[in-house]
Amino acid sequence: MDNKVAIVGFRMAAAPDIEITRERLAFNLTRGLFDDLGIERDDVGTTIICSNDFLDGRTISNVFLDPHVGAYMKDESKVEMDGLNALAYAAMRILSGQYETALVASLGLTGSQASPYLHIEYTMDASYDRPMKLLNELAAAALQAKSYLAEHGYSEGLLDEVAAKDLANAAGNPNQARRMPGITAEQVAASAMYYEPLRELHCYPPTDGGCMMLLASEKKAGELCDKPVWILGMGRSTDNYYLGDRDLATSLSASQAAAKACEAAGIKDPAGEIDFAEISSLFAHQEPLFAEAMGLMESGKAPDAYRAGDTAINGRLPINPSGGPLGGHPISSTGLIRAAETVLQLRGEAGENQVTKADVALVHGQDGLCAQQSVVFVLGT
Amino acid sequence: MMEETREVQGTWDLSTLKFRIEGVGLRRMLDGMKEGKLIGTKCHKCGTVYLPGPFNCRKCHIAINEPAEVSDHGEIMTFTIGYADVRGNPLEEPRVAPVVKLDGCDSWIMGVLQGVKPEDVHVGMRVKVQWAENLTGSLQDMAYYVPE
Repeated sequence: MDNKVAIVGFRMAAAPDIEITRERLAFNLTRGLFDDLGIERDDVGTTIICSNDFLDGRTISNVFLDPHVGAYMKDESKVEMDGLNALAYAAMRILSGQYETALVASLGLTGSQASPYLHIEYTMDASYDRPMKLLNELAAAALQAKSYLAEHGYSEGLLDEVAAKDLANAAGNPNQARRMPGITAEQVAASAMYYEPLRELHCYPPTDGGCMMLLASEKKAGELCDKPVWILGMGRSTDNYYLGDRDLATSLSASQAAAKACEAAGIKDPAGEIDFAEISSLFAHQEPLFAEAMGLMESGKAPDAYRAGDTAINGRLPINPSGGPLGGHPISSTGLIRAAETVLQLRGEAGENQVTKADVALVHGQDGLCAQQSVVFVLGT
Repeated sequence: MMEETREVQGTWDLSTLKFRIEGVGLRRMLDGMKEGKLIGTKCHKCGTVYLPGPFNCRKCHIAINEPAEVSDHGEIMTFTIGYADVRGNPLEEPRVAPVVKLDGCDSWIMGVLQGVKPEDVHVGMRVKVQWAENLTGSLQDMAYYVPE
């Protein structure tokens, strides 16, 4: 990318039940972010609110959130997808040259106030999927998992290993909602079966949370923070809705989005040039599936990579050192939280989950049934 | 209907949705109403008074929590006369619904006006709150507005 856009700050929160209203969550996180950066709402050029009307229980839900994110009587727009889409929108607004700063404000309260599965249920096609009542978010993920495992001849034990690694990472991350210190693959394998082959601990937990992030132009970034993290590339891709038209053993949306983001960042060999990745794997199988699709892991070698510890915090290419969405999935915020966790790593502020080499990282976000849409960012110092 | 167009029956079941609302400003207002008072919240920075009080100031983007009593007298800023409910069912009597700026309050609040013929209502008209006979700390305590 020719022009530079930086991430200069963020605030995030996640919990099974955050125990406050969405308005107060939005206010607390933005007020905290502004205090961190020493700015007031007048210093924000444009705001992108990212929330889900269906889960908010009211349409055009951003109209209620404007005052709480400081956007009262200001330039504001809305994204109703994953937070990484909102990040792309905000970055493009800065690249337009019209704004020096952009706030992305995302939140989703699907731990305490609404079922996280509902909105996917109502994305279903009304001519077949709804009347048949066979498909839902978990069932679709299970179809994808089975397809992926069968394609490569992987055993279901891979899911337990992936989940145990992620949940152990999540246990060391104070920003995560589901924290299970000492979790083992055996415990994952003994958790309740949801949809074959997916068990409870292979799936994301219902989560409340949010993430607010401030972007700035190159000119402004230096004034606002000492350690700006730069957007080196971004890419998006959307597959067909209908599962019957897709190859569920891989993810075309993830591979295309990653290819675009890497090309923009000048990266030719993702596995060799990316230091670590934060991937929006809502289900255990999606982490190696997306990693393979995005060129971070050799296709067909996922069990070897996990067994060798390549994806661990101290591994060759750590994946989800934050714990990923198995530790928390506040819908609308999850991809943006991946970006925030990446910024922590790139600044060397990830605490006990800090990876060794953190100069260039890949961030993935997804939306829709089986990641119908993927968004990928390459971030660097 | 054209051959290629079909209808399917469907419902949107939102029964699992809970909705949390901010309680502090509303509680302050309802507690005050038990004593026939209207208590809003004032921004300690810009001085704006809101009723019911929010937990933050929209203008300053800071948390606020300073009680401020508001008069039960005010001025009609705008009004409408309703002849049907939101589903289109006719009302028995036309209903005058003004938005009132109470003295000492910056935000406006909507209610029902009685004791005046619809054709005599006008913007700028002075009104006051008619309190319910038994004050219980509910929104019904502020029964309706009457001309001052």
